[in-house]
Amino acid sequence: MNGHLLVEGLAKRYGEAAVFSDVDLTVARGEFVAILGESGVGKSTLLNCIAGLDDVAAGRVRIDGTDITTLPEPRQALFRREHLGFVFQAFHVLPHLSVAHNVGLPLLLQGRPDATRVQAVLAAVGLADLGQRLPQTLSGGQLQRVAIARALVHRPQLILADEPTGNLDPGTAERVMDLLSAQVRAEGAACVLVTHSRAAAARADRVLTLTATGMRDGLPGTA
Amino acid sequence: MISLLRQLSWPELRHHPWRHGAALLAVMLGVALAFSVQLINQSALSEFSSAVRAVNGVPDFELRAQRDGFDEALYARVAAHPQVAIASPVIEVETFAFDTRGERVALKIVGLDALVAGPLSPALMPRPAEGADRYALLAPDAIFLNASAQQRLGDRVQVQTPSGSATLRTQGSIAAQGAALAVMDIAGVQTRFGWTGRLSRIDVRLHAGAGRAQVLRELELPAGVRAAAPDEAAQRVSNVSRAYRVNLTVLALVALFTGAFLVFSILSLSVAKRQPQLALLGVLGLSGRERLALVVAESALLGLAGSVLGLLLGTALAALALRLLAGDLGGGYFPGVAPQLQFDAVSALVYGALGVVAAVIGGWMPARAAQQLAPAQALKGLSAGNAGALPAWVGPLLLVVGVLLALAPPIAEIPLAAYVSVACLMLGGIACVPSAVGALLAGIAPPSNALALLAVERARHQRHTATIAVAGVVASLSLAVALTVMVASFRDSVTQWLDTVLPADLYVRAGSSLTAGDVVTLPAEMPARAERLPGVQRASAQRVTSVQLDPARPAVVLIARAIDDPAKSLPLIGELVPLPAGALGVFVSEAMVSLYGAAPGTTLTLPLSGRNTSVFVRGVWRDYARQHGAIAMPDTDYRRLTGDTRVNDLAISLQPGANPSTVQHDLRALATELGLDGALLEFASVSEIRATSLRIFDRSFAVTYWLQAVAIAIGLFGIAASFSAQVLARRKEFGLLAHLGLTRAQVLRVVAAEGAVWTAAGALLGLLLGLAVSVVLVKVVNPQSFHWTMDLLLPWTRLAALCAAVMVAGTLTAWLAARSAAGRQMALAVKEDW
Repeated sequence: MNGHLLVEGLAKRYGEAAVFSDVDLTVARGEFVAILGESGVGKSTLLNCIAGLDDVAAGRVRIDGTDITTLPEPRQALFRREHLGFVFQAFHVLPHLSVAHNVGLPLLLQGRPDATRVQAVLAAVGLADLGQRLPQTLSGGQLQRVAIARALVHRPQLILADEPTGNLDPGTAERVMDLLSAQVRAEGAACVLVTHSRAAAARADRVLTLTATGMRDGLPGTA
Repeated sequence: MISLLRQLSWPELRHHPWRHGAALLAVMLGVALAFSVQLINQSALSEFSSAVRAVNGVPDFELRAQRDGFDEALYARVAAHPQVAIASPVIEVETFAFDTRGERVALKIVGLDALVAGPLSPALMPRPAEGADRYALLAPDAIFLNASAQQRLGDRVQVQTPSGSATLRTQGSIAAQGAALAVMDIAGVQTRFGWTGRLSRIDVRLHAGAGRAQVLRELELPAGVRAAAPDEAAQRVSNVSRAYRVNLTVLALVALFTGAFLVFSILSLSVAKRQPQLALLGVLGLSGRERLALVVAESALLGLAGSVLGLLLGTALAALALRLLAGDLGGGYFPGVAPQLQFDAVSALVYGALGVVAAVIGGWMPARAAQQLAPAQALKGLSAGNAGALPAWVGPLLLVVGVLLALAPPIAEIPLAAYVSVACLMLGGIACVPSAVGALLAGIAPPSNALALLAVERARHQRHTATIAVAGVVASLSLAVALTVMVASFRDSVTQWLDTVLPADLYVRAGSSLTAGDVVTLPAEMPARAERLPGVQRASAQRVTSVQLDPARPAVVLIARAIDDPAKSLPLIGELVPLPAGALGVFVSEAMVSLYGAAPGTTLTLPLSGRNTSVFVRGVWRDYARQHGAIAMPDTDYRRLTGDTRVNDLAISLQPGANPSTVQHDLRALATELGLDGALLEFASVSEIRATSLRIFDRSFAVTYWLQAVAIAIGLFGIAASFSAQVLARRKEFGLLAHLGLTRAQVLRVVAAEGAVWTAAGALLGLLLGLAVSVVLVKVVNPQSFHWTMDLLLPWTRLAALCAAVMVAGTLTAWLAARSAAGRQMALAVKEDW
């Protein structure tokens, strides 16, 4: 897969209420794209539509040539398992699994557990010694690093990150963004980052702004 | 607190009305059952005591002897004593009358001297009917009936007498309530019922200021005659029915326990779901104690609402039960009593408070969880879920205490320690669930399969949450198992006992009543003549009477019969002791050992025919027909000691190929020939007696079966509520799993598999706990309550069906709940602001 993300004319409605429409997006392999926009414009919804987790009212989403919007639910799940990685604002680490098990979960779901790979990724995010700990004992920054490690462990070609620094203080947020952008580039994955933070967006190769009527280049408020 | 309840608890209740409604319903049912049993017991006992007091009147004391009374010459001495104001002679006879359809009606006839009895027994004073002869009070063939007897009998009453039957004229009524009762002139009773020269009792009222003890000393009562308190009979009934009433009440309280457990389940999961809210409140300044108080207040309000509704429902249930099932719910302790409901405000307050207490107890652990949660962790969604968990030593300690209490003796002849033992075993078993699961999982390495890893590690690290659902399985199943084993053991023991005590093919009697056994007898020559009838192989006679060994206890039944081979003819328990030379040997029932210490090798003193006779106890037999004690002695010894040749029952063994109908016809003809109207004979085949006995057994356990069903239903609902809430609380987890690539079907499989594993674990634990509790019920509670033992029987098929039903219910519930939670939108649950 060459990680090519192609979104064409995507529209999303909840009943009669339109969330967004005419969204076009192209992300090349290895490209880091940040999407900003006002609260409630549908940035997270856009990511869910890209991942096949939400229905679309119109348009298509192709990832490396596969039209994910037309796949049935089980195949969408299999596709996500193989090709996508996620980082959330609220970390969403399973409290009853150790750090290592949380990180290695995507590999387990593919049926190819790899403890070496898990340890390597933990080391890459600076958590090499914390594999056996339960998440309750970690700080917010550490938890987000666990989430980043989990998103990368199975070498996905596309990372979808939804406000990964939203719950972190500025200092921690900066370090997490440094880590995320470094690891994404090191793995050669494409990344679509949705954020409010211009500081976070500054690390991207390209910055887009989502509006109700579509996507446009540049920061919000710029021409 | 009020504003917190309004702003936090009320929205939660409105958002989940059915769940909280279920908890309220459970408390309501528990209070209703317990309160209705209390009302029934109270109403019946009160009415029965009132009826007994009406029959016995209001003397200062009664002079009584054994069943066959005493010489009437004593009356003249008593009446002549200067300190005696009134002495009223009384004869009490139990017999049968025939109603307008020719059916037998048990009838107690009291013979009075109407000229003296009025002040002492106003309720028994004959009231001549309009137009009746004014001397009817003294007529020997006049009879006066109470309301119950009037309902069944007509103007001419045919009653059974020792010589056959007699027809009496109904001349009026009496005011006494209760079972069918009649009054006649005392001379008429003496003549017609073979009491010439004897009296049953003398009611005595002394002059004001007279000393009872001195009067009794001066009267120099003959041997066998004693002074009894007037309410002795009522007190006896209260005593002997106490075990039965306490058992019923405990069973009803079991329903309250399951109600409390449901409150625990619902509130535990409610607290778990509201953790972010409670955590936020903690951060904003609501202390742990205040969070505890909030959840306790919620459970108290649930309990209060449930209690109020439960009291209303319980009153209605009691009224209905008294109408349909009589005052003893089938136990046979209050015969002939159809009591009116007597509402008691104090009892209502007590049981209402019990409902609130049960709900608060159920809510205590969730309240502790709310108190102990770590706000910071909870806000991150990382709370371990073990807050509020009991220390690990609590469960084993309760189990040990439960075992020790099971070994304790009864208190006031009630197995109170055993009941507490059962409660400790139940609670201890439930408290051990987390440790037991942890121990089971300790040896299991994290699986390499993703779905298995998710299930096992969740069980390992968050087993406290699953414990709530599993504990519901354990509680309801263990109760159901314990009651099933107890009833099956009892029924099997009764069946085996019937096989031993009913060896013949046909049983004959002139009327089926122990109390009427002195009146309704068979001709003395009948056994020997019956054996010579065609088709009859053997005819064994039996005389059944009673002796009063302790005034505080009911009379002990004395059975005189041929006992050639005790091991074959009696259902013996334990060894037979050889008979010492010159001694009279008897065989006692288990109740005699418990109540009178009549163990094998000891001697008993029996008051027979006015003399005390020492007898030697050779062995103990199992008797499920007579709870208060029975003694079997060889009929030859009995006749020699008493001169009583009367026969009550005949057991007929038929020759092979004999026609039972022909033999019955011949026996009727023989009875008529010997002076007893053959039409009065009652016949019952062994199969009929067995079927009737088992029907009575099943009826007496009707309430138990119902309570068992209620407990299972509440438990299953608790399982459903627990699993549903748990699954709903995991929507964010399911959303994450969807992001990671689990299909919806895989999520459903994980949850259903978890449900199956947890309910299987709960079923296994519930089965083991239930078996332990059943041992206490069979080996401790029953013997201490009713003075009989039974063999433990494990009905494996029924137990397996119970376990399977619970497992299917639990798995199905988990799957259905997952279907709801793992909907198309489950992936959206990870959104922070949803």
